[in-house]
Amino acid sequence: MTCREFKHAAASLSLWELVRSDNQPMFDHAVECAGCAVWLDERQMLAAGMQALRAHTAGRQASPHVEQALLRRFRQQTFEAGKPVAKHRSAPIAFRLSRFFEVGAYAAAAAAIVVGLFVGVRLLERHSATGAAQSQPVPAATEPVQQVQTAVSASRQEGDARPEVSVKREAAVHSVSRNVRNGYSSAATPTADDPDYVALMFCDPLICSSDAQVVRMELPVAGGSDRDAQTQVADVVVGDDGLVRAMRIVN
Amino acid sequence: MLNLTDEQLLAQALSGDEEAFTVLYRRRQGAIFRFALHMSGSSQVAEEVTQDVFVFLLQRGRDFDPNRGALGAYLFGVARNYVRRALERSYSEALLNSPADEEEESLVTEDDPADTIAQRQTSTALWKAVLSLPEHYREAVVLCDLQELSYAAAAEALGCAIGTIRSRLHRAHDMLGKKLKHSAAAPGHVSRVTARFAS
Repeated sequence: MTCREFKHAAASLSLWELVRSDNQPMFDHAVECAGCAVWLDERQMLAAGMQALRAHTAGRQASPHVEQALLRRFRQQTFEAGKPVAKHRSAPIAFRLSRFFEVGAYAAAAAAIVVGLFVGVRLLERHSATGAAQSQPVPAATEPVQQVQTAVSASRQEGDARPEVSVKREAAVHSVSRNVRNGYSSAATPTADDPDYVALMFCDPLICSSDAQVVRMELPVAGGSDRDAQTQVADVVVGDDGLVRAMRIVN
Repeated sequence: MLNLTDEQLLAQALSGDEEAFTVLYRRRQGAIFRFALHMSGSSQVAEEVTQDVFVFLLQRGRDFDPNRGALGAYLFGVARNYVRRALERSYSEALLNSPADEEEESLVTEDDPADTIAQRQTSTALWKAVLSLPEHYREAVVLCDLQELSYAAAAEALGCAIGTIRSRLHRAHDMLGKKLKHSAAAPGHVSRVTARFAS
């Protein structure tokens, strides 16, 4: 028998069974193995201690007062009831409260559904109104777009040789760039910050990370013969790639 | 009446037969009392628990289902719950009064021969070690080792599997062995019982 088999066999026995056991292979192993012998000794001592403790407390029992008190209780019980002794309360308070809270829970769920529907309808209405505004054409944007593109390309060709075109760079206006990011939609729904800016069609929208600059320009009016007499000041939103995204006619 | 089973006595007691209740009480109270005594270390708590268990039996005895187990195991299960409540209620007091010390006196009887001093000392040390075990280990030790219940009956009383009882006992015996070794190796370890007899 190995130590493992010894422990397995010993573990299957109770303390008393272990002491009284006649499992000879187990005891033979304990003779050969010092560790298992110590373990067995400990268990036998424990069993002896348990036996002594049990013997010392074997005669202990409840005092006669307990029996008398119980018999008094018994007489009261049978006298009071005269029927099955076990009494079950018909409806505990917790159960009644749970019924109340159940109704409350249903009411709360119904209220939540109504509020959800109301909010959903309002959101849908707002969404449809926004969509309708976006789908409207932007007639004012088409002509200035062409003008600005023409003016910018002309200024690039002529370079600094044209003193009459003054370019004044201003600090980036974030509110403008924020509103111009969405291209057409921002033009169609002007805000209080930039009511006159018109996004140019067919250009890439500004992305969040890109820097936009607002440049004030004097733009020649297309088709005019006298350029000096026919210029127009405009604020032009230029993206970080140098392309014009939106513009506003100042006067 | 004495030949009736526990279940028959309970049925008669619940129908108002006082004698049946008395017989049932006298048959079972000792084991319940000793279980509570070994668990708590206090005879006061043990008496209180014994009374509570039989009052419970009077009030809720009809809930007992013989098909689910023996009445003895059922009573141990009820007693276990009352012991827990009692210990929770008076836990700090019980620790301060050191229940095993309180009951140590009861282990000494006038007619004990002198050669059993060592045995009593062992019993006292063992009882203290048992009381210091965690509750679920103590329950297994008290039921199986001190009340000599079978594993199946103990499992029924504690509401767990037989394997659980087995493993708890195994672990509890290891812990008890270590505690007893430790207490025996303590340099100033002189039992009050020993001291009394020596004087």
